[in-house]
Amino acid sequence: MKVLGLLMAVAGWLLPVFGLALTESTAARLVLSVVGLGICVVGILGVLNPAYVKDAIWKK
Amino acid sequence: MFLRTEFFKKVIPLALGFLLLLCGPAAWAQSQSPPMANAQAAPAPSLTAPVDVNAAHPPSADVMAKGDPGGTLTGNINDVPVSDSQKGLTMGDAVNQIGQNKVAINFVWTLITGFLVMFMQAGFAAVETGLCRAKNANHTMMMNFMVYGFGLFAYWVCGFALQMGGVGGVGNLGGAAPLNSEFSINLFGKSWGLFGMHGFFLTQGATFDVAVMVLFLFQMVFMDTAATIVTGAAAERWKFAAFAVSSVFLAAITYPLFANWAWGGGWLSALGANYGLGHGYCDFAGSGVVHAVGGLTALALAIMVGPRIGKFNRDGSSNAIPGHDITMVLIGCFILAFGWFGFNPGSTLGASGSGALRIGTIAVATMLAGCTGSFGSVFYMWLRYGKPDASMAGNGLLAGLVAITAPSGFVNTVGAAIIGFIAGVLVCLSVEFLDRKCHLDDPVGAISVHGTNGLWGVISIGLFADGTSNYGGSWNGVDGSVTGLFYGGGAGQLVAQLIGVVTLLGFVFTLSFIINILVDYFIGQRVSPESELEGLDLPEMGAVGYPEFVLKNFGQTSPASSA
Repeated sequence: MKVLGLLMAVAGWLLPVFGLALTESTAARLVLSVVGLGICVVGILGVLNPAYVKDAIWKK
Repeated sequence: MFLRTEFFKKVIPLALGFLLLLCGPAAWAQSQSPPMANAQAAPAPSLTAPVDVNAAHPPSADVMAKGDPGGTLTGNINDVPVSDSQKGLTMGDAVNQIGQNKVAINFVWTLITGFLVMFMQAGFAAVETGLCRAKNANHTMMMNFMVYGFGLFAYWVCGFALQMGGVGGVGNLGGAAPLNSEFSINLFGKSWGLFGMHGFFLTQGATFDVAVMVLFLFQMVFMDTAATIVTGAAAERWKFAAFAVSSVFLAAITYPLFANWAWGGGWLSALGANYGLGHGYCDFAGSGVVHAVGGLTALALAIMVGPRIGKFNRDGSSNAIPGHDITMVLIGCFILAFGWFGFNPGSTLGASGSGALRIGTIAVATMLAGCTGSFGSVFYMWLRYGKPDASMAGNGLLAGLVAITAPSGFVNTVGAAIIGFIAGVLVCLSVEFLDRKCHLDDPVGAISVHGTNGLWGVISIGLFADGTSNYGGSWNGVDGSVTGLFYGGGAGQLVAQLIGVVTLLGFVFTLSFIINILVDYFIGQRVSPESELEGLDLPEMGAVGYPEFVLKNFGQTSPASSA
């Protein structure tokens, strides 16, 4: 899950970056950027962090 | 539930009222503003006839010997150096002196504002130490102290070269011409700058140059600000050795790479020229480059290191662990606010030429956003918890300042006030979210202040940039002024800013995380539970911060603790 979280963060970054070549529409680029932002946040706070919290010191 | 409903009943009308109060004058100000073209003065007539420099009538040596108490005689034609004593003063000498005066003003401005930013290290040290427990005071203070040296050394060795080695000249500082080598790749038919290649050890690539030195000092203190942010989020359980290595990597690699992309001629700054996205990624003084880089590295550390012992209960509920000195915290916040007048106005890299006189506007915007930031957080805490929390008032001030750092060069005062107020509320929401939903322990609120609001500051340019700034007629190689969505600039600038935000989240966070995983593997990031419970001053530093305050229990001696 830790690796998946990091991969999601990278994927969220690459989506709008490669989107620059996929479309010239500003609206489409805006959508790709917002979707990429969402993937990054979910990857970091929704996947990576819970994987660490699972073994947190206060749960032992 | 009832309390929550009551809260929103109170807060929404108040917030709307406040925003309306702010937007009214904004609309009025816009309607009163004359068009830009009319505001331009007529160009000065060209100089065709030689100037009779002898008409200057400098005071005689006898007059000067009597002193100049009024300050009206000192500084005259006699002070202009001549290139050929046989010819005397020529027009060429005079014009050269004018050019050097401009660069001299900009050197002095940039250096002094850099000195102000350097002093922010003292503010960070005070804020972070005050928000930690007394048993960790020496350790926390030492991290803030030594990050200056570790960061500076790594930045001198390679960080500066990677960041600015290919910037291609800085006009306000007289060129800095040796910084002209950028490593780029060709992608999608465009050139993508990735890192600079001149300036290692400040000698390689002919970079032993006066302008390069000024630029190095200014950029170094910015980098050190990013590095010192991290120490707050991992305080009270971070091994000093791990901190040292992690800080060196941040200064040498992570920070310089993103800073190159934004400020050093890299691909983010070229999004406007290459892909028509406004003026490309804009970040005037570093909400993204400095604060979000520091804040997201802090987030990586906080996730990896885990919370302090006693922060969370078995059911997941959190306990407040108050800092030991709120007076130190608020004094530190004031020091930081003072230093921010170097951070933002100094980012013009000059006070003369290329629109640099906007420093007054930038300083006022900075002041206003800090004010409304503290107002926003006090406003939120008072409504939510019934008391104006002092530490969150300080964090609100810093949040407003962090958020205005990127847009300070592009927004008007009303925009600055709104950005700061939103930042003040946002920092409270972010602290609550990270604490209660994510179970992340951030003793000083560094992730929320610098990470969350750094990203908000970056986005706010795409919304609030008012199109009146003019730094030499273009920005990031695109003619005209940076203009956001709310001022008729379209969504292109906003998209460029969002791509900057996802780059921070996707690249900077991931790189920081991987580097610190390696540090964890080889050194170990977290101290032992015994050391943590005792306080890190003795186990890590060998001396307690407050030796007079020692509790003696059951025949043992241990540092005072609030835990």
